[in-house]
Amino acid sequence: MTKKWNLMLVLLLALTVVLSACSGDNKKATAPETNKTKETVDTTTPVETPAEGEQSSGLIKATDASLNPELAKNRKDTLIVGMTDPKGVFSPLFMETAYDYYVNYSVFDSFLQVKADGSYVNSLAEKIDVSEDGLKYTYHLKPGVTYTDGSPMKASDYLFTMKLLLDKSYDGESDPLSYHIVGAKEYNEGKSSDISGIKVIDDNTVEVSLTEYSALSPVELGTVYILPESYYGKGYKQGDLSSVKEFNSKPLGSGQYKVTSYKAGQEIVLAANENYFKGTPVIKNVIFKTTTDSTNMAMLQSGETDMDNINVSEDNVDELKALGFLDINILPNNGYGYIGFNHKLKKFQDPKVRQALTYGLNREEIVKGIYGPYADVINIPESKVSWAFTDENIEKYDFDIEKAKALLDEAGWVVGADGLREKDGEKFKINFSATAGNPVVEALLPIMTANYKELGIEIVAETLDFNAITDKKTAGNFDMYFAAWGLTPDPNNTVYITKGAQNDVGYSNAKVDELMATGKKEMDTEKRKDIYKEMYQEMNKDIPVIFMYQRTNMTAVNARAQGFDISPYKDFPFSLHQVELQQ
Amino acid sequence: MKQYIIRRLLQMIPTLIGISIIIFAISAMVPGDYITARANPNMSIEKQEQLRSIYGLDKPDYQRYFIWAGNMVKGNFGDSMQHKQPVTTVINTYVWNSFIIGIFALFFSWFIAMITGIFSAKFQYSFFDKIVTLLVFICMSLPSFFIGLLLIKFFALDMKLFPVGGMITSGLNARGWEYFIDVLKHSFLPIMVLTMLSTGSLTRYFRTSMLEVIRQDYIRTARAKGLKERTVIFKHAFRNAMIPAITLLGFELPGLFGGAMILEQIFVWPGVGHIYLNSINMRDYPFMLGFTIFLAMLTLLGNLLADVLYGIADPRIRLK
Repeated sequence: MTKKWNLMLVLLLALTVVLSACSGDNKKATAPETNKTKETVDTTTPVETPAEGEQSSGLIKATDASLNPELAKNRKDTLIVGMTDPKGVFSPLFMETAYDYYVNYSVFDSFLQVKADGSYVNSLAEKIDVSEDGLKYTYHLKPGVTYTDGSPMKASDYLFTMKLLLDKSYDGESDPLSYHIVGAKEYNEGKSSDISGIKVIDDNTVEVSLTEYSALSPVELGTVYILPESYYGKGYKQGDLSSVKEFNSKPLGSGQYKVTSYKAGQEIVLAANENYFKGTPVIKNVIFKTTTDSTNMAMLQSGETDMDNINVSEDNVDELKALGFLDINILPNNGYGYIGFNHKLKKFQDPKVRQALTYGLNREEIVKGIYGPYADVINIPESKVSWAFTDENIEKYDFDIEKAKALLDEAGWVVGADGLREKDGEKFKINFSATAGNPVVEALLPIMTANYKELGIEIVAETLDFNAITDKKTAGNFDMYFAAWGLTPDPNNTVYITKGAQNDVGYSNAKVDELMATGKKEMDTEKRKDIYKEMYQEMNKDIPVIFMYQRTNMTAVNARAQGFDISPYKDFPFSLHQVELQQ
Repeated sequence: MKQYIIRRLLQMIPTLIGISIIIFAISAMVPGDYITARANPNMSIEKQEQLRSIYGLDKPDYQRYFIWAGNMVKGNFGDSMQHKQPVTTVINTYVWNSFIIGIFALFFSWFIAMITGIFSAKFQYSFFDKIVTLLVFICMSLPSFFIGLLLIKFFALDMKLFPVGGMITSGLNARGWEYFIDVLKHSFLPIMVLTMLSTGSLTRYFRTSMLEVIRQDYIRTARAKGLKERTVIFKHAFRNAMIPAITLLGFELPGLFGGAMILEQIFVWPGVGHIYLNSINMRDYPFMLGFTIFLAMLTLLGNLLADVLYGIADPRIRLK
């Protein structure tokens, strides 16, 4: 009997693993794009959607703060922020999820800090000198900054932090080798025990030399969160970060708040840093409490939390408005949804076919069906609040089935006897790889199938796990798929350049490559604007992928907490120290 | 007996090796790895390769298996990729929270199931039996997220008797007795739902087992001796009906530590269930494999425990 049982057990376990692997949902906690550079655009300007005539982004103020639940009102010196649980990686070196970022933003500081419009201001730095050739950065640290254990911050701590980031055993997601610091490679490979390109001039001055510069350099170098060597450096030896990792649960920085207790999966309790160099934070205690999608609204309602991110939908917005005591921020998400083609396949190589597939798809209907007024159909891969955004000479590709048919005819795809288009004996069939359990795909597929059928194209869909699709993309074994990209504040990326690290679709356009390279080397934002405008116009004609939508995110804040400065680029922790609770 | 236990423990070794090969093979066949699952739009190809080589993901599968299995034998489960902490630390952090609701739910569901099972059997086809059967089937068939949300609506939002979720009241800083009461309040709803879900099948099980025993000759003999009906049912019948249940009890062991994925999500209970689910989605191999092996070991131990208890409870069964 036992033998049989053992066998059954093995089978059962095996099955469990397989089944649970299949059932995984694909809500990825993508790291908030490490803040790179950027400029202007007022994000709080409400944008009207003509169709509904309703506010679909911006701030909706609370209507009646007196409706506040007793529980929240009685909490006089504590703010409770609801969020998905962080992984407990409270170290700017190793953090990966947005929620660990939030904790670290509250505990650590860097030379530069992001502003609401996506540009940067000096934070720890009093002054930054950049040499004329853009290869030498001198940071002057503000005097008198201390860590929360009372020890003074020194310029040498910057060098120390860089050493940790460049260590051979470093397995976090920052990529300091790509910053091109002189001597970085030698340190990484263990050939040198110092980074020759970072010179500590005195306690408050550090100088960084680069071998080559890019438009991203000032931000990459300036947003390194500075760790105290006196604390993190105790057991560190070059090539072994394990002693540093042990401090992941006990962070020590110079920031607005310090972590006083962490209960995994439950809460992180933060206490104000009275000696914070920008002034003592107004709220004494801040608690980051774990919430989930299914009950985060109920917790706001009962007063258990003061603030949370709620999924944007018409129902949710109405419900939050009805509660009356919440300020609702609806902000454009830093990302966009798209449908990718495999550019290695002959049928997708003709731009006319790609244009026809865009004209022939009713994107408006799909996007409104999922997000209502809270998402926009897009035509370039850029956030509408970015400085690089443009709608000058951008074709909108409004749904036009006749135009799509004409384009396909021009491209040589003619309707055959069975109603399907064909060219050189090949029928126009598209295998669509759909992500399992993705609401967008569920709304997209029926409309797409119907639209393309009218064009004479057959869609065959197969549903797969997110990682399985990623694998197919890497292997180039696909026709079309739906996915979403995150957007960095800076328009520079590798998604559409030839052989780019993220270019899974195999897209290649010499003009885009060239403009992207020029844009990366140009330091003047006004000139960059023109470069990217031209690039987006080219993409708009060439259709590397079918751009679908940019959706929004919603943060609801109890009206008793005032003073947050939130934007798509500036996460809430950056303004935490200036928030006050109204009694 | 000692010899039997030692032999069974030794037999576990090849079983565990088999299990480890199968789960490793499956994890290796599943598409993607931690780097693809992260889908970081800024990561360069060089950085991806660098990370893969640090994590050892660039090695062939069989090599990875031997490295992993070798470390496991030494008791080194490796570091969770998501948590950047040893797997054992992560398990230890979360598993006890799952255990709290698991053990209470186990206790209540067995207690309720025993009582209702006995009476349902004693008064078979009575009105009581029918009502119990109906209730039991309702509890069994409703999905946990539905009951969970429904109870939250009634008890937490409308009646304000219990908190919506979590394990402690944030900002209360309670200690000692106060802390205990606070956790109790928070755990009430999840324990209730978990109890509702598992009581159903247990009740049916006990009822059947009891019905079988009640028809035995020795029960008739006991009644013929003129024993009180209470003694007959609770002493003679019940004890015998409980023997097969020991096997079930053994199987509950991994369930106590395994966590309830959906339930924990709804009640924001900081258990190990959703950590495990996340590790599978994110292809966090060290945690996913380590925790699966941990559950496999518990299952094997539970199995052994059941067999040993069986021998103690029923002298007719000899363990050799």
